Amino acid sequence: MTDAYVVGAGQSSFGSFPEETYRTLFREAYESAVPTDLGAVDVDEAFVGTLGVGGRQIGLAGPAVTEHVGLHGVPCTRVENACAASGSALRQAVMAVRSGMADLVLAGGVEVMTDASAEATKYWLGVSGETEWERMAGTTFSGVYAQMADAYLREYDAPRRALSAVAAKSHANGASNPKAHLGFDCSVEDAETAPVVADPLTLYHCCPTSDGAAAVLVASGEAAASFDERVRIAGVGAASDRVGLFQRDTYTAIPASESAGTTAYDRAGVADPRAGLDFAEVHDCFAIAELLAYEDLGFCDRGEAAALALDGVTAADGDLPVNTSGGLKSKGHPIGATGAGQAVEAFDQLTGNAGERQLDDPQRGVTHNVGGSGGAAVVHVFETDGVTGA
Amino acid sequence: MSDPVPGVEPGAIGSAGSDGAPEAEARILGVGTSVPSAGLAREAVVDAWGRSRARGVDAVAVPAPDEDTLTMGVAAAERALSAAGIDAGDLAGLAFATTTPPLAEEDLLPRLGAALGVPADARTHYAGRSTRAGTRALRAARDAGAVPTLVVAADAPPAAPNSPEGHAAGAGAAALVLGPGSGRGARLTGDAEVAADYPGTRFRRTGREETEGLGVTTYDRAAFTRPIGAAVDLLGDEADAPDPREAAALAVTAPDGDLPARAARTVGLDADAVSTPAATLGDTGAAGPLLGLAAALREGATPTLVVGWGSGAGADAVFVDGLAPVDGDLATDRELTYPAALRRRGEITADEPPAGGGAAVSVPTWRRSQPARYRLLAGRCPDCGALAFPPEGACPECHRLGSYESVRLPTDGVVETATGVSPGGAPPEFARQAERGGDYAVAIVRFERDGAGASVPLQVADANPNAVEAGDRVRTVFRRIYEREGVVRYGRKASLASEGR
Repeated sequence: MTDAYVVGAGQSSFGSFPEETYRTLFREAYESAVPTDLGAVDVDEAFVGTLGVGGRQIGLAGPAVTEHVGLHGVPCTRVENACAASGSALRQAVMAVRSGMADLVLAGGVEVMTDASAEATKYWLGVSGETEWERMAGTTFSGVYAQMADAYLREYDAPRRALSAVAAKSHANGASNPKAHLGFDCSVEDAETAPVVADPLTLYHCCPTSDGAAAVLVASGEAAASFDERVRIAGVGAASDRVGLFQRDTYTAIPASESAGTTAYDRAGVADPRAGLDFAEVHDCFAIAELLAYEDLGFCDRGEAAALALDGVTAADGDLPVNTSGGLKSKGHPIGATGAGQAVEAFDQLTGNAGERQLDDPQRGVTHNVGGSGGAAVVHVFETDGVTGA
Repeated sequence: MSDPVPGVEPGAIGSAGSDGAPEAEARILGVGTSVPSAGLAREAVVDAWGRSRARGVDAVAVPAPDEDTLTMGVAAAERALSAAGIDAGDLAGLAFATTTPPLAEEDLLPRLGAALGVPADARTHYAGRSTRAGTRALRAARDAGAVPTLVVAADAPPAAPNSPEGHAAGAGAAALVLGPGSGRGARLTGDAEVAADYPGTRFRRTGREETEGLGVTTYDRAAFTRPIGAAVDLLGDEADAPDPREAAALAVTAPDGDLPARAARTVGLDADAVSTPAATLGDTGAAGPLLGLAAALREGATPTLVVGWGSGAGADAVFVDGLAPVDGDLATDRELTYPAALRRRGEITADEPPAGGGAAVSVPTWRRSQPARYRLLAGRCPDCGALAFPPEGACPECHRLGSYESVRLPTDGVVETATGVSPGGAPPEFARQAERGGDYAVAIVRFERDGAGASVPLQVADANPNAVEAGDRVRTVFRRIYEREGVVRYGRKASLASEGR
């Protein structure tokens, strides 16, 4: 079975772009992902992640963007897994390559979320929550993640300040990302004193709603040989869980993340994530989600994530930098584009193209993309070409 | 018809049970009440308007944004059933009275029955369109002879903010369970009704929500006291009825706090015999006489003269002889500012939910979930014994995909985790509720039954969102979830047990 490689990855800026459409944003991502000398005919499969916020093109949203960028006739499938849509699209691309059915696959995602009133937008934000019970109790994701935060802080007697430390760290990273939606600094005090959205989460503990697109080109070993830059996808894992938090086995972890991480690490040969990884892009839609990710992905033991954040271990200059891109919190969260956008950061870091955010010669990183409040999760481990073992 | 009734003009119609068909015998087995948690004091009205135009009203109850006459009625009914020791599944009859139903037209009895778990073949009766609805429903339920039967009266009559009716506008509900004529409970005895044509004292125009009156003081008093006096006189003529002047309490309709006192003097009682809590709850419309009965029974007063009055006008009267257990409060437990009360009533907020898109739960889908929503019906896995809520899909423990044994979760549970949601974090469907009531708490509540448990996401009603914490004990209450496509979706919420409302 062939390995799968990322041979190109790019994204549009994430933000609010009233002058753009979902198609023009996707084009921007596509053009920054695909080396300009590549003819469209070479891509033989495409997967596009999108939720369809606003209802603009829920049906056939995939072909609507791939045909727009000239991938005429290329089989394209829309992948919907809520906020894990394009992480899941990337996994589909890996499966297509590794099965031998395709040599060069485009995996991407797009979302436009800022062109409706704030209240109309919120109708769409909750649509990946459990609708009949969870939402009818009066929560969207801020409320559900707040319940997780309440349970977590109580379980481990952790300070809320740890959530604010996560936010401040992500903003510090995003401030040096020219494509970030909220590329400004935010202090721990700013986050602590911001208006409460859903107790204990304040405004700065929540990611924005963004417009944006991202695209990743996945190639077989043979096809990858003709590209200048290659990053090996060393391991992939995915898992699902019950959609409603109230139906899950725990409120202080996301079991699908843990399961997806374990699978991806096994395949990649990562025995000790803390030692074996040089960076991580995790799904921090809310600050509590990043803390849970530290534990679910094995960066620390249960109950220790707050200390990891407060001690700066996951800062850009820390032992295990997390969300050098700014994460969902600062870079932004255009739902369908987020997972592919994480892969863009991993590709840029491993190919030395991360600009001001470039880490010192990273060899291996992980991306972690969650759908809803944990109903789906997908994890990818990326390595520089030639690295083996952990 | 007996002798002409003093004080009522020619043309008035009167009837007493002793003259016509004999009324069925019945006893009140238990009584329940429900009153909104928040009230508006007279002083706040005076601060806002310079005076209060509601005579004898010290405070009024103001319903929460997720309360209406159906939800207050369910709460009162559950307490009445509990006080009576009767299971809703054993009821043979159900009667509901209100002048302010949540919908101008649609049968509310099926929803009330479903919320309580009343058998589908119970005999039902609805009374409305007059504040006499409460006593009408009581008399109709008794005369139907199907026992045990549950009589529920709930009202929240709105009116223009700066009007006598608006300053008096209150809310509350009372319910009682009627059992057979012999045995335990307070005996319901006697029956009288009088009509007297007095238009213009308290009415609501077709298509309007607000009650109004002309405010012709002496005329209004006559329209109130004359039919009441005549009905009580008729009642007193009955052979087996106690002497009305011997009544220990007068539970009477109370448009304000002054008219009932006048009615008391008309029937030969002291003003302080009036037991209807108009001074503390305001005008409770059709629920007034039954709330007055609940107050009298709780004080141990017997016999109680129960009198319904409706503008138009007419009155009916029955006696309640003996005592029965009462469950529920008759007072609010916190005071609102005047702006908060306007906000809570929706006087100064938008009516329509914002336009939107996703996350719709269709009426047919919602309807399918009603047993779980209304009565927390869960499922027990026949293989492993785990509880599933809602009772559908694969077993949460053993993942077997089969059918469940239906199990009702207990009414009490424990908060596992909770958050207070600000308007910024509220789904748009809840934006209007948040606009009227402010931040609200949402908890995941664990219910345990026979060694197994199930967790349910529930909004916490009437609670300060910062006061809800993991470990808190809650019980479930029936409330409005939201309205969509004109259809009010009802379901269970949690209520902090310590608040005991």
